[in-house]
Amino acid sequence: MTAGPLIVQSDKTLLLEVDHPDATACRMAIAPFAELERSPEHVHTYRLTPLGLWNARAAGHDAEQVVDALLRFSRYPVPHALLVDVADTMDRYGRLQLVNDPAHGLVLRGLDRAVLTEVARSKKLAGMLGAKVADELIAVHPSERGRLKQALLKLGWPAEDLAGYVDGEAHAISLHQDGWQLRSYQQQAVDSFWAGGSGVVVLPCGAGKTLVGAAAMAEASATTLILVTNTVAGRQWKRELLARTSLTEEEIGEYSGERKEIRPVTIATYQVLTTRRGGVFPHLSVFDARDWGLIIYDEVHLLPAPMFRFTADLQARRRLGLTATLVREDGKEGDVFSLIGPKRFDAPWRDIEDQGWIAPADCTEVRVTLTDEERMSYAVAEPEERYRVAATAHTKLPVVEAILARHSGDQVLVIGAYLDQLHELSDHLDVPMIHGGTTNKERERLFDAFRDGSIRTLVLSKVGNFSIDLPEATVAVQVSGTFGSRQEEAQRLGRVLRPKADGRQAHFYTVVSRDTIDTEYAAHRQRFLAEQGYAYTIIDADDVLRK
Amino acid sequence: MTNDFADAIRALPDEELGALLQLRPDLLVPMPADTYSVAARAQSKVSVARALDGLDQFTLEVLDGLRLLPTPSLSGVLALTNNHPGVKEAIARLQARFLVHGDIEDLDLVPAIEEVCSPFIAGLGHPAELLDAQVAQLMSDPAKMRRTLLSAPPQARAVLDRLAEGPPVGTASATTEAVAWLVENHLLAEVTEGMVELPRELGLLLRRDSGPLGELHPKPPKVSGVAKDQSKVDSAGAGQAMSAVQHVEAVLEALANEPAPLLRGGGMGVLPWRRLAKSAGLTEQDTALYLETAHAAGLIGELESSTDTVFIPAAGYDQWRAAPLAQRWARLANAWLAMHRQPALAGKRDEKDRPMTVLSPQLERAAAPAMRREILTELARTATAETDELIELVRWRAPRRMRGREHIYRDLLREAAVLGVTGLDSMTGYTRALLASLSSAQDDPLGLRPEADRPPEQTAAVLALAELLPAPVDHVLVQADLTVVVPGPAEPALAAELDLVAEHESGGGASVYRVTPASVRHALDTGFTALDLHNLFKRRSTTAVPQALTYLIDDVARTHGGLRSGGAGAYLRSDDEGLMAEVLADRSLADLQLRRLAPTVLITPFTPGRLLSSLREAGYAPVPEDSTGAAMLTKPRVRRAAARGALQPQLDLSFSPARVLGAVEELRRGDARLRVARRAPAEVRAAAGHPMSSLTAVQAHSQALSILQQAVRDKAKVWVGYVDAHGSAASRLVRPVSIGAGYLRAEDERTQMLHTFALHRITAAAPAE
Repeated sequence: MTAGPLIVQSDKTLLLEVDHPDATACRMAIAPFAELERSPEHVHTYRLTPLGLWNARAAGHDAEQVVDALLRFSRYPVPHALLVDVADTMDRYGRLQLVNDPAHGLVLRGLDRAVLTEVARSKKLAGMLGAKVADELIAVHPSERGRLKQALLKLGWPAEDLAGYVDGEAHAISLHQDGWQLRSYQQQAVDSFWAGGSGVVVLPCGAGKTLVGAAAMAEASATTLILVTNTVAGRQWKRELLARTSLTEEEIGEYSGERKEIRPVTIATYQVLTTRRGGVFPHLSVFDARDWGLIIYDEVHLLPAPMFRFTADLQARRRLGLTATLVREDGKEGDVFSLIGPKRFDAPWRDIEDQGWIAPADCTEVRVTLTDEERMSYAVAEPEERYRVAATAHTKLPVVEAILARHSGDQVLVIGAYLDQLHELSDHLDVPMIHGGTTNKERERLFDAFRDGSIRTLVLSKVGNFSIDLPEATVAVQVSGTFGSRQEEAQRLGRVLRPKADGRQAHFYTVVSRDTIDTEYAAHRQRFLAEQGYAYTIIDADDVLRK
Repeated sequence: MTNDFADAIRALPDEELGALLQLRPDLLVPMPADTYSVAARAQSKVSVARALDGLDQFTLEVLDGLRLLPTPSLSGVLALTNNHPGVKEAIARLQARFLVHGDIEDLDLVPAIEEVCSPFIAGLGHPAELLDAQVAQLMSDPAKMRRTLLSAPPQARAVLDRLAEGPPVGTASATTEAVAWLVENHLLAEVTEGMVELPRELGLLLRRDSGPLGELHPKPPKVSGVAKDQSKVDSAGAGQAMSAVQHVEAVLEALANEPAPLLRGGGMGVLPWRRLAKSAGLTEQDTALYLETAHAAGLIGELESSTDTVFIPAAGYDQWRAAPLAQRWARLANAWLAMHRQPALAGKRDEKDRPMTVLSPQLERAAAPAMRREILTELARTATAETDELIELVRWRAPRRMRGREHIYRDLLREAAVLGVTGLDSMTGYTRALLASLSSAQDDPLGLRPEADRPPEQTAAVLALAELLPAPVDHVLVQADLTVVVPGPAEPALAAELDLVAEHESGGGASVYRVTPASVRHALDTGFTALDLHNLFKRRSTTAVPQALTYLIDDVARTHGGLRSGGAGAYLRSDDEGLMAEVLADRSLADLQLRRLAPTVLITPFTPGRLLSSLREAGYAPVPEDSTGAAMLTKPRVRRAAARGALQPQLDLSFSPARVLGAVEELRRGDARLRVARRAPAEVRAAAGHPMSSLTAVQAHSQALSILQQAVRDKAKVWVGYVDAHGSAASRLVRPVSIGAGYLRAEDERTQMLHTFALHRITAAAPAE
């Protein structure tokens, strides 16, 4: 028995004691194969999953290294069955390979004939495999590459993709590193992405994901298609690229509802690509408009379902996914991994915060007690209406006002989900509001006014959930949300995490109605952040109002 | 010869007889009356088969050599084996077991050996004269045989070589052409349709290179592989042992929450079994192993109630749970070693296609403990063997026992790995200690040696394992995401506390719990106050208790008990508060034990009927309500018993003609039986009727069996006395055909029918003169 920092659980979770002197070394050793599940203040939880182990194999680690790392850092004896399981799982990777055969094009090669026969007979692969061209080779149509990989993963025989990537049309891009430098973790993220070919980089909001994208473009030096959630986010990308890279205005095109430009670097919105007219997607030609060398998916956790299908056809191109929170309430994380690529880089939020790259945040849940009248209307509300009734209680109004009064010198965002409530807040507080119906021009104007400080408070609907760069916002007040969405909570916190010029702390308030379903959803929403080490303080509304 | 054998055993000096009984312990069960019974048993098929089962491959090969010889002798076998030096010892082993006896140059084989061994001695076919006249003719002319052999086409030659290696029979499907040629030229005999056999003479000729007995295996097979680091083996095993103990606990906790009913045929149903596996997060196979082992260890019992019987953790379970890990493991491991069960069968179907269920009698296998010890002993002996090699080693030690059982040994090894008896597929140090203590306990039945009365926590195995396992911890780490981490095995008191206040999320080296509103509510229900909970976390946590947890406890405690519920027999309500007060104060209604819930509601533990009648007696005018609150009108009802049928007149006693004819036929048959029985010799009749004076029933039975076995071999007629299915004694003159599987099959020449007698019904037998 050693005194190591790691405890291996029989359900294949690994507990890492953070305060242990060997904790850092241990994290370095297990990070390649174990997935960080949560990182609260004392004990981080990692999980051994088949996917994680296969990714490790793909990155060149073998079972012996994994077992060795577990044994070296484990505090207690590691069960034999778990070691066997790790070895068996890793052994399944690479029995099948996707390769470019000089004679037959893309083929599935079986290093183990039994496995090849097994998968060839599987009903789940029906239609994806072509003719058997040799004993251990089966032809694969290039368009099926993504779907086949996805299906093989589900069968438990992940294929090693050796078919490589097309380089795409070359286009010189370089970073302008004057007065700023790529941060070490950004460089690491780019390096491990490039080494892996395709994949997802997970970084907290405000930690500079756009720069990771820009650096990846510089690395590729090829024409790039950037997919973003909305037009405003697209323009932010453009601004950032112009400032940080050698790209010029003429080289960057926007493909959105308003403009349809195809240029060496094209920024398209998910919305326009997934617009359907008469049962067809008219804008899909963007994917073939140029010989793209790199495709960047911004906010990959929001990737709409039809995009999965399009992405499956793009397996020969390099793909980079960027996100802060790869938790999808629809549970489709696995599809993201198999289509875009495995997670290539991940850093606990608190680590980045400790390094000073994102602002330290203080999270507070304020519980308001409903008036008797409100309790009554909540009690008799239809089940599907209950959350709305609880979340939009008028009692929240004075509390929001009191919070604003507390932070009178700060830039504050008030974020909610229900327009009625937001309109009411906007009228009551006499501040402008941005929602889905606000024109892009108006949005830009208000955001600019907020950035330069002429507006101190903004009310945002769901449009404020993501991809808006408002570095000066230091306080966010959440009054209602999309039920128990964990990633929404994280994204909203992300709005105030950009490091402040004066190193000020960020504040995140969520106003919740006590003893209602609102509290339950709030608890669920907070789980992701709590697991990232953000401790919520819960206070009563009376405490806010009294001060 | 039978008498020679009995005399030889009777003449043995005490220590040699003792040695024989040691080698063949089954001769002593049940306790035989005299050496005559021992001799009879030692020649019985069952006992001979058992003795052969314990012999290694080489000894069996030497035995085949003896069987092949017309007069079995040492020199004969030496000639067959090219003077192999091990032969003499092998024959000595056979002699010690009395499978062969007599002078070493003129040995007698126990006749039953022929019955329990393969008819193809050493993989050779029967002599040609027993197969086919034309084949025999060719074989008797060696020169011609050689010529024919040389003219065989290569494909046919390959068939011959394969048959010469043994077994010497084959079906003619694949290589029909070659086989047809061989049969046509009388090198092969066609024994039945499509089945050919290689005659012994030709087989011997073809075995020129390897010797007449084929390849010999005087030494156990070699094992490859490098020795594993014992500390790694022990560590992996200890980790596994720890998780096995935790898994057993998880399964039993699930069982406690949802007791599984005992099926009528014994065992636990498939559905509860699957449910247990699911809630414990284990495979069904492992769950079956854990359930069986826990049952054998006395941790699961059956609880009978008036409606059904259920499996539920037994009384000893709580003590076991509180014991240190190593001790808990030792109890499981000992139970596993000793249990006569084969958990791997659970979920499969038996030969009658019925599903075999966990904890049912169908999983009973008497040989299981011996097989476990056998394979573990072999594993302890060879540090480097891989599983396949290990199986080969065990096969060499007792090839007859391995036959058809290889998968059982593999299952046993898998179970040993799951339970942490082995680690990295090698023997762990602590299991070695456990096995050693078991064998020393066998040598010391009275418990005289000092280690015999060591308490369970002091045995060598427990101490060795405890050394490897983490020490229990009594503190926790509480985190802001409301998880509570115990960084090691929790001390029993701590585990009990956490079970009450938090939900278990993950187990293993450490435990992770999560505090939820439901778990706090549960703790409050069991009598904790909010203050108790705050103190509990403050006391146990080495880090600051997060504010979120403090708030959660207070918040749940605030609403706890906001609703109250209880039972009542009947209620009384009225809009008139004054009237309610009057009723409550009325002394004549004190018996009703009325209690006020609200100014307008009273309740009583008694039924509505009693409430109504008491109220009416006291002069009130209550009206009963139904469940919707509407007033109910009461009508008097008359009570009646259940309906009964009326008596019908009966006809006179009479039988149908068919029934009478049947009775007559049965009577005639009885007469015939009696006539036949009269003709039977006296001892058979007497034995059938009532106990004889000279022999006890048991002796008579074993004597009858040896007479019958002799008669099968001699194809002689015997009188058999037996008790038929109706319990009446009978006897019959028959010619026995075979004895086996508890039945005697014999031919009655008079009726030309084949009869089957259950052996336990046979009371006596006598050779017909």
